[in-house]
Amino acid sequence: MTERPPYVPETAADEGHPYAPDTAVAARPPTDATEPLLEVQELSVSYGRRGRSRHPLRPAVDGVTLRLSRGETLGLLGESGSGKSTIGKAILGLVRPAAGRIVFHGAVQDEDITHAPPARRRRLARHIQVVFQDPYGSLNPSRTIGQTLSEPLHITRRHTRGQAAARVSDSLNLVGLTADAAERYPAAFSGGQRQRIAIARALVLEPDLIVCDEPTSALDLSVQAHVLNLLVELQQTLGVAYLFISHDLDVIRHVAHRAAVLRGGTVVEEGTADRLTTRPSHPYTRTLLTA
Amino acid sequence: MTELPSAVRRHRPAPMVRTVLRRPAALVCLAYLALLVLASLAAPWLAPHGPTATDLDHVLTGPGAAHPLGTDNLGRDVLSRLMYGGRPSLIDAAVAASTVLVVGAGCGVTAGFLGGWFDRVFSWAVDVMLAIPVLVTLLVVLAVVGDHQVLAMAVLGVLVSPGVARVVRGATLAVRQELYVAAARVSGLGRRHILVRHVLPRVAGPVVVQVSLFAGGALMIDAGLSYLGFGADPPTPTWGNMIADAAAVTDRQPWLLAPPGVVLGLAILACGVLGDAVRDAGAGRSTTATPPAPRSRPSRSRASRPRKGTSHPPVPASRTDSSPALLSIHDATVALPGPHGMTTVVEGVDLDIGPGETVGLVGESGCGKSVTGRAILGLLPGRGEITEGSIVFDGTELVGADPRTVRALRGRRIALVSQTPLTSLDPVIPVGGQIAELVRRHHGGTRRAARARAVELLRAVRVAEPEHVATCHVHELSGGMAQRAAIALALAGEPDLLIADEPTTALDAGVRAEVLDLLRQVQRERGLAVLLISHDWKVISRMCRRTYVMYAGQVVESGPTADLLAHPRHPYTAGLLASAPGRAAPREPLRAIPGTVPAPHEWPPGCHFAARCALATPACAAAAVPLLEPAPDRGTRCLRHTELGKGDDRDRATAVRS
Repeated sequence: MTERPPYVPETAADEGHPYAPDTAVAARPPTDATEPLLEVQELSVSYGRRGRSRHPLRPAVDGVTLRLSRGETLGLLGESGSGKSTIGKAILGLVRPAAGRIVFHGAVQDEDITHAPPARRRRLARHIQVVFQDPYGSLNPSRTIGQTLSEPLHITRRHTRGQAAARVSDSLNLVGLTADAAERYPAAFSGGQRQRIAIARALVLEPDLIVCDEPTSALDLSVQAHVLNLLVELQQTLGVAYLFISHDLDVIRHVAHRAAVLRGGTVVEEGTADRLTTRPSHPYTRTLLTA
Repeated sequence: MTELPSAVRRHRPAPMVRTVLRRPAALVCLAYLALLVLASLAAPWLAPHGPTATDLDHVLTGPGAAHPLGTDNLGRDVLSRLMYGGRPSLIDAAVAASTVLVVGAGCGVTAGFLGGWFDRVFSWAVDVMLAIPVLVTLLVVLAVVGDHQVLAMAVLGVLVSPGVARVVRGATLAVRQELYVAAARVSGLGRRHILVRHVLPRVAGPVVVQVSLFAGGALMIDAGLSYLGFGADPPTPTWGNMIADAAAVTDRQPWLLAPPGVVLGLAILACGVLGDAVRDAGAGRSTTATPPAPRSRPSRSRASRPRKGTSHPPVPASRTDSSPALLSIHDATVALPGPHGMTTVVEGVDLDIGPGETVGLVGESGCGKSVTGRAILGLLPGRGEITEGSIVFDGTELVGADPRTVRALRGRRIALVSQTPLTSLDPVIPVGGQIAELVRRHHGGTRRAARARAVELLRAVRVAEPEHVATCHVHELSGGMAQRAAIALALAGEPDLLIADEPTTALDAGVRAEVLDLLRQVQRERGLAVLLISHDWKVISRMCRRTYVMYAGQVVESGPTADLLAHPRHPYTAGLLASAPGRAAPREPLRAIPGTVPAPHEWPPGCHFAARCALATPACAAAAVPLLEPAPDRGTRCLRHTELGKGDDRDRATAVRS
């Protein structure tokens, strides 16, 4: 991981880029972290039935390469249909990539998770988690918050009831909710609270990476502010990395260390979030900025 | 979770069984079916006579002391035969229903959940099975296996399964695509676990309905087969052959038809009603889950609310323009029916729009922006009504006006563009046809002229190839194109006022800019007044000269947009501006407003924002705050706006707290 990949813009090195050679990792702000966590190499994803394409399909994601370090936020900026959510789904194993590799750098070993078999995918769950856009659809309405949150603990961590309940209430406290929320159903909560619960669910397994797929797009401005504050704060205390997918330039500028702009399934520009959102070099990014 | 305080327990909904039992209809049906089962099981002990014991002295008697339901043509006791006959009938129905449950629902769930080759084979098999005539096949089977009724009913179950399986597959497919299932997969849960815990409970509703309906049907078919002579041999009673016997002597004792007929009919009915009740209970359980009991506050009586002008002198925040307003809303209050009765959702709104002016109405969801827009159009949902105040459009009072007056204005003088063009345009009529229809409705003329005008309007909203787009249906257009078509539709009546309710919220950034430019262009060219409802400060600041800010049903601030953005005079506006991530330093905490927007039935009598406001004093909560005029052409509903404006520091309100 010492050589800097060619796609990293020159400016990145000047601004304390994560891949600049550096050995002192511990107790440093995330921007200076060097330990790689996830690599996406030449990823392509096409939708439609495999092996039956009479028409050549336009891929949803076409040769995308990304890198993410521990404790870092990588923003994926793009309009609808740009393939930004598909990248997230491929990392989560929810769609099958047509080509390319996804490498996860675990604590023990690096491994290719592009086509992880179900059993391996289940074990990956404790490292990679997700927060979806829709706070209403992402929680099973017929199960209590406690049931939803403790489920993965029973299955992947083999927690006892007591251990799971304690972990669930810790997790709920982390996102600013009280432990008694566990006893209620999703219908009892507002959109912002549900998004907090979704974040608590992602945190319950103490993952290294959370894929945030438009986590605040369905929320009002003032509620969004609370959720963004929470995400940033959790990153600072827990050191979790985010792949932050959004169409909102302001949100990306606020939360992300680095960002990639997607259009038609390819990365058109990549760099630090600050440079990208103030001095974009690609014309498309510029139109996003002025829109 | 036993360690949780007992106070929380109250919020737990009752278990499914108890929810079902709370429904009287379900309870009656369940009791009836239980009675049938018990009676047929306990027949050897409870029945007053044997099922085949003949009493030739009392043939075809009506109901009496010795034979409560009478006797048949061989003097056999009808009640006893009903009880004995219930057993084969109920067993047959249970066999058929279980077969459907296992084969039909099982295959449906599996196909829907697994997808892939299993699903393809399944769909193919279902298509083939559906082509098989059920009754004919059943008769053939009976001819082959003889009087093996149980086997016949199992075959019936298999034959009916494809229909059930298709419904269940559809339901499963829908649940499988839910985000929470994806989240469960990401959580590392196995397929079986997801199926049992997340999918099955959600498809249980349709399965229960399908199976219970079929169980009723199976009772009927079983009786029909017995009637035809299949099934148990004659002396052994079944409900079906009892009906057959009764039919043979119906000229001598019509009563005989009643006991088996009524018992059978009610059983079929009970199956259906019970299924519906279980489904409803399941649905109700997941949607009306128990919020913590809100402080119940029904729509306040207007007498208790301090009237503006009595507690505080009214200081109207008037427009300085001398031109008369095209639309003038004064002190409008709107109530909508809700779970807490008629609830006030818009309270005392004052708003003016001049001719050709673009005015912004900004606020978060649930603050009453859209309801205000709908009130102008007289299109309030449900039994919603304007309970107070006036809305004057170009000299015409709309509140309490003849519906025909309002209808005449709608479309022709006041038009609406909504957030989702896909729902505001008719999916089955080509876009051009819809516009032409409106053109003719408002301005008459020939079809050809209207069609030409429609294409012209589409060209005016900068649709490329308007002739082609006019022939397209909505689903063939992109989001931006559909929104342009919706704007063309709104322009068809050549209105004076356009109410644009979040017109660009559903669009991508690039398209959004184009649609906004278009709106501005038509506004300039046609001298159109626009009420732009939005939650997006960028959109508002780009489009509107003047802006009204709404919070919890009230206009809390108004003024020229640039001035309002630079010097907010209400803590809510200041807080909202401070929570936008675009203005803050990266990863520094945003100055979010604490708390949440109160629901309409929870509005306090004083300042609606007081509970979340850093500047609030007891005076704020004491009485309703009138719209004050802190500066020329500015309005605010804040008693302490001078604190906020002081030192030209818009962050003051939030600074106090942090």
